[in-house]
Amino acid sequence: MTDVQTSPMRAMASAPRILRYQAVVKRFGAFTALSGVDLDVHAGEVVCLIGPSGSGKSTLLRCTNGLETIDGGDIEFEGAVLPRDEPSLRAVRRRMGMVFQSFELFPHFTARQNVAEGPRTVLGLGAAESDARADALLAKVGLADKAPNYPAALSGGQQQRVAIARALAMNPDVMLFDEPTSALDPETIGEVLNVMKVLAEEGMTMVVVTHEMTFARRVGDWIAVFDAGRIVEQGPPQQIFDAPTTERTRDFLSHLGWTG
Amino acid sequence: MTFDWSVVWQHRDALVAGTATTIFLTVATMAIAVPCGIVVAVLRLYGPAPVRGLATAYVELFRNLPLILVVFWAFYVVPILTGLGGLSPLATGLAALALNVTAYNAETFRAGINSIRRGQVEAAMALGMSRVQALRRVIVPQAVRRITPVLASTWVSLFKDTSLVSVIAVSELAYAAMQVRAQTFRVLEMLTAMAAIYWLLGYPQAKLVDWIQRKYAVTE
Repeated sequence: MTDVQTSPMRAMASAPRILRYQAVVKRFGAFTALSGVDLDVHAGEVVCLIGPSGSGKSTLLRCTNGLETIDGGDIEFEGAVLPRDEPSLRAVRRRMGMVFQSFELFPHFTARQNVAEGPRTVLGLGAAESDARADALLAKVGLADKAPNYPAALSGGQQQRVAIARALAMNPDVMLFDEPTSALDPETIGEVLNVMKVLAEEGMTMVVVTHEMTFARRVGDWIAVFDAGRIVEQGPPQQIFDAPTTERTRDFLSHLGWTG
Repeated sequence: MTFDWSVVWQHRDALVAGTATTIFLTVATMAIAVPCGIVVAVLRLYGPAPVRGLATAYVELFRNLPLILVVFWAFYVVPILTGLGGLSPLATGLAALALNVTAYNAETFRAGINSIRRGQVEAAMALGMSRVQALRRVIVPQAVRRITPVLASTWVSLFKDTSLVSVIAVSELAYAAMQVRAQTFRVLEMLTAMAAIYWLLGYPQAKLVDWIQRKYAVTE
């Protein structure tokens, strides 16, 4: 079934697989959030997960780093099945960065402390080294001057850029973005998407749950369309946005007023 | 009726010593009850089922007993049950206060920890932190800031409630003042002096904690 939906036009198909989802099932009580999801993510790819709210995109992302435990199928990260026990899971999480819809910066830390926290507490780096890494990453996301500020003094877009820097501070192999711009004012969405675009250009492997179709089309290498807990179509952006092969994709895109 | 306020000044040494004991009891009780309260709260929230049950039982027992009863109980019953007779009234009083306030603080911390939204733990876990690291670095520091006003009220209550250990002859402020009253029969003067000392010491403490709260509050 996956073969039928998968287009052969996958530029980075020959790169090593970073993530492989096979028949992933996730239930919340009687509700089935994911009912058999198959998806590959190759090194350097930007894979965008799109689809209506409640279709399972975020759940798949949260299963990826074990914030949720799957009830069936397998998730492989860099060739190894995702472990279930906390200590092994922690080792995996260190290599995955995650960015949340609601930022989730630590409000009692400054921007610099937020970014330095992972290297400091999790990697055990010294204060000077963690702070230097934090300052470099804040500069990278254009917030060098905000290092001493607390999150409350930053705009939503700035907070989300700090959150991206915080995730990057662990030098992850893959970045997971869970609707990173959905909680932002329209004016600040652009600054966050620009940072993500730069990351993508640098070759970061990214899985992005998003409602920003323009971003998905321009930056995404591979698009997976979710509906009711399954991927109804996946392919390169040209296919999904210009020549969708399923009725469900066409419905979803026309609902958003997508005109190509 | 004539008043003789000089009696207060004449017995100033006893009152000063009593005040010092009252302050010591308050500080020492909080020094025990804050860390212990955090531990009990964390055990009650995250411990294995039997530990959770024990922590809950402890909190519900001491939260729902009159403090004066706990004080008497610690003084008269514990030595009989345990055969330990060596504790001074001061140590016994401190233990009773600490048991009571730890139970209250545990509930306060539990509410504080519960008030931190789930996403904060998830953000910490996503970085690869353990649960203990997430608690220590992210959750507890935020919870402590949120519940500072409640801890401040507990502190001021405790400052006054230390007077209850006078019933086992711990010579804190209330006991000292009552002793002077018994010797001099100057009821009104001594009770007024006692009230004045409690209020003058308690009010600035409350204000100080308010100030700390404003200074270290976290805006979200």
